[in-house]
Amino acid sequence: MCGIAGILYKDTDKSFNIGQSLVKMLDGCQHRGKDSTGFALYHKSTPGQLHLRFFVGDDDGTAAAIGRVRNILEEFGAVVVENETIGKTYRAVVEFDGDVQKFAYALEHGAKLISIGSSLDIIKDIGTAHDVDEAYHIGEHQGTHGIGHVRLATESDVKPEAAHPFWATGFADIAIVHNGQITNYWKMRRRLEQRGFEFRTENDSELIAVFLAEQLSRGIALETALEESIDILDGTFSFLVSTDTEIGYAKDRLAAKPMILYESDELIAIASEEVSLNRLFPGETLDTREPLPGSFSTWSKSI
Amino acid sequence: MVKVDLAKISVTEANERIRVAGENGEDVEVFNPDARHHIGVGLIHPINVRVNGSAGYFCAGLTDGPNFTIDGNVGWGVGDNMYQGSVVVSGNASAIPAVAIRGADIVIKGNIGSRAGQVMKAGTLCCGRNANFMAGYMMYGGRIIILGDSGERLGEDMTGGSIYLGGKIQSLGTDAKVVDLDSDELDSIRQFLDQYELPFNGSFQKVVNAGEHLRYKGIEERVRPMPFHTFSGTHAYWNAKIQEDIHIKSRTGRYRVRGYGAARLMPHLSDLAFRADVAATDDDDVLSKVNLRTVIGDKYGAKPLDLSMPVMIAPMSFGALSRSTKVAMALASSMSGISENTGEGGVLDAQREAADQLIFQCLAGRLGWNIRDMLRADALEIYISQGAKPGFGGQLMAKKVTEELAAIRGIPPGIDLRSPSRHPDVLGADDLAIKIEEFREATAYKIPISVKLGAGRIRDDIKIAMKVGFDFVELDGSQGSTGASSADVLEYVGVPTLAAIEGALNGLADIDCSGQLPIVLMGGVMDGIDAAKALALGADCTAVGTAAIIAGGCIACMQCHVGSCVVGIATQDPEHEKRYKVQQEALHVHHFLESMRWQIASIAHANGYDDVKQLNRNDLVALTPEAAEVTGLEYAPELREREQQRLPANWKYEFAVR
Repeated sequence: MCGIAGILYKDTDKSFNIGQSLVKMLDGCQHRGKDSTGFALYHKSTPGQLHLRFFVGDDDGTAAAIGRVRNILEEFGAVVVENETIGKTYRAVVEFDGDVQKFAYALEHGAKLISIGSSLDIIKDIGTAHDVDEAYHIGEHQGTHGIGHVRLATESDVKPEAAHPFWATGFADIAIVHNGQITNYWKMRRRLEQRGFEFRTENDSELIAVFLAEQLSRGIALETALEESIDILDGTFSFLVSTDTEIGYAKDRLAAKPMILYESDELIAIASEEVSLNRLFPGETLDTREPLPGSFSTWSKSI
Repeated sequence: MVKVDLAKISVTEANERIRVAGENGEDVEVFNPDARHHIGVGLIHPINVRVNGSAGYFCAGLTDGPNFTIDGNVGWGVGDNMYQGSVVVSGNASAIPAVAIRGADIVIKGNIGSRAGQVMKAGTLCCGRNANFMAGYMMYGGRIIILGDSGERLGEDMTGGSIYLGGKIQSLGTDAKVVDLDSDELDSIRQFLDQYELPFNGSFQKVVNAGEHLRYKGIEERVRPMPFHTFSGTHAYWNAKIQEDIHIKSRTGRYRVRGYGAARLMPHLSDLAFRADVAATDDDDVLSKVNLRTVIGDKYGAKPLDLSMPVMIAPMSFGALSRSTKVAMALASSMSGISENTGEGGVLDAQREAADQLIFQCLAGRLGWNIRDMLRADALEIYISQGAKPGFGGQLMAKKVTEELAAIRGIPPGIDLRSPSRHPDVLGADDLAIKIEEFREATAYKIPISVKLGAGRIRDDIKIAMKVGFDFVELDGSQGSTGASSADVLEYVGVPTLAAIEGALNGLADIDCSGQLPIVLMGGVMDGIDAAKALALGADCTAVGTAAIIAGGCIACMQCHVGSCVVGIATQDPEHEKRYKVQQEALHVHHFLESMRWQIASIAHANGYDDVKQLNRNDLVALTPEAAEVTGLEYAPELREREQQRLPANWKYEFAVR
């Protein structure tokens, strides 16, 4: 149970302060959940480079975890271009052009992998938007688009890895944030596992990421995958999905979870509540709209 | 004109200023609202409030009298539960505009979100453009005017009221139909549109309830009266109760409806015992030696309930019970220095006067819910579910839905009322946090807010209750009774009280919050011994419903749902109610409560304590393997014989009648 937010700037030539925008939007709806906060931020990509982020903790085991990751990187011939240890995570930018899924599964033996992408970087931890911003300097992130999430844990644990955004391990550059509850989780999970997809948590929201990754991996367009999700997923949901070039939403047929949308020539912003949108435009009355029940849409950077 | 700038002050501070302006009869203008929630909630004076920009959730909610103008959009639940007054919104409204209104004009010039007018009872909701999914869902009265098109399932399960549609009907909901409208109605609509300057030249279609779902089909006849001990007899194969169930189903072709709770044998408080031989005490003066005072509800700074002992009267509605019974319960609660609870049916003036401390319950149907009674309550309680039928709404059969009762609840008289099971504005924990905030804003953070939870997935739910900011939890197990429910639900759906408290305590321990959320345990607490066991297990307080009713004259015939209770308790029939002697039964209930006080004090004293809060799990053992398994207490079958004499003759009752 949560609050979600997403923003995409249409101008593809420039970078925008997406980190700061998402911190503001999530702070605006923090009342929807204070257990954890997370961000999926998309930066400009450099061909041949991958961004990796791992949970390595901030304790005695941290150095060893980073050591294990470095060994695996070496094993795969990935050259570290840039790296840092920040908060509970280790971030690295590497040069790598092999099979990303195999690479990801191997890296998980080193430490808990949070995300891989040519432009995606997922940052999530326990605490509020401001807490996570302080620990990870979210506000300094420049990029083109991103999604974020505040969480009130209802069934699964409160720990960094149970925070949103989720991704489908091994599928680069796809992230989702979800508000609601998927009630056919186990049935769908078993179906996807039979097709060789792996799950890393028991959080129902991870299912959405895996489901969409499976669709996209078969060459299905994101918009079509979202349409499919409304039929296939059971329960209540308003979710946002992002890839390296797109951002999209889907909303269940009962319209049980809120979502509100603002679009201008410059940007598209989506959030659980209008109060988050107004954080970007204080003092203004926005011409917003509420997506219809059972609807979905996508926006691409290249508009 | 009072100016309030939300760029400079918090909503809480703004609401305080708006309240003061209301008292002084001054109008208010709000600047920089930026879609913040709860603007102007709880206002009970007829002033004008202008909001310059978009407002968030529950703008103008829980109000009676003011006129709001909002120059922008609004979030969920604009005008929530408004009685008199108006709200005019220039932009769009998100979900459930005009939810549960009891009067008032709510005008949205743009589009409206899903479930518009859910459980509204009176007044007008008008939408200038298009409506969304399930407009008029479960509405009980009033009218919705939509100048554009409807969404899907228009008028889904509406019970009363009318929907007038200027555009296309996308699809009709269950039990809704299109009928002709007469010229008077049309005139009234035109007048309304003129008043709010909404130009419209088209024609209207009218949608009303089709009446297929208002009443149960087939009258349920009782085969023969059966006392509770026979009814709950579980040893006999094809026993009398099972036969009776089958007889009834063979006549109606559906599940049986009855009162009371689960009658199956399941592990209960009576399967636990104190290690110490508490019956051996012969001290005449235990009451002066043990502190029983229980203060509950001040976790977030509200004025707490101050109980003379850890016992409350459990929530029971005026509706399920007669007015006389509710007044007797209120009187008894005051005589014993504890609290009374309204249950679903709203506050009766006589009950409010008689009860020193009254908890006001808010249910999904918002039947009898209103700001004025909120402000005169001592605590509020958001009902999520009850132990007897977790996940289900209440049932009140037609015979009990009298003119008076229907007026208080704002529903059509004479229907088989099936209350909704789900709050219109609480579809998740996130929404619940916002709802609690609305109540706190409306009552200036002065009144404790609790939650009634019928144990289901309690280990998860208690964590939510902890996180979203309740002051305390009323936790109910399946041995708790109800006025009417499907017998199959009563027997097979709930979680036993013992398992409920264990799940709750474990849930709080999971998130390192043990002891941080007071728990009031109820559901088959029969006397002070059960109460003491509940407290030792980890509850902070207990509540008695059925036991109090029995003390006040109930003969446990379990015909509560029928409405012709022979002792005048579970009835709205004045002839039957006459049999109930309020003062006398109030005294009986009081005497019973005092016996509980004496028992709780004696047990605490026998365990060597001078404060009831010192009772703890180490004082208890389990007498059956099942109870040991559920609770994790030591299994001590050797104590079974001693415990078979539940109320030894040498136990003395000492009570002072005030």
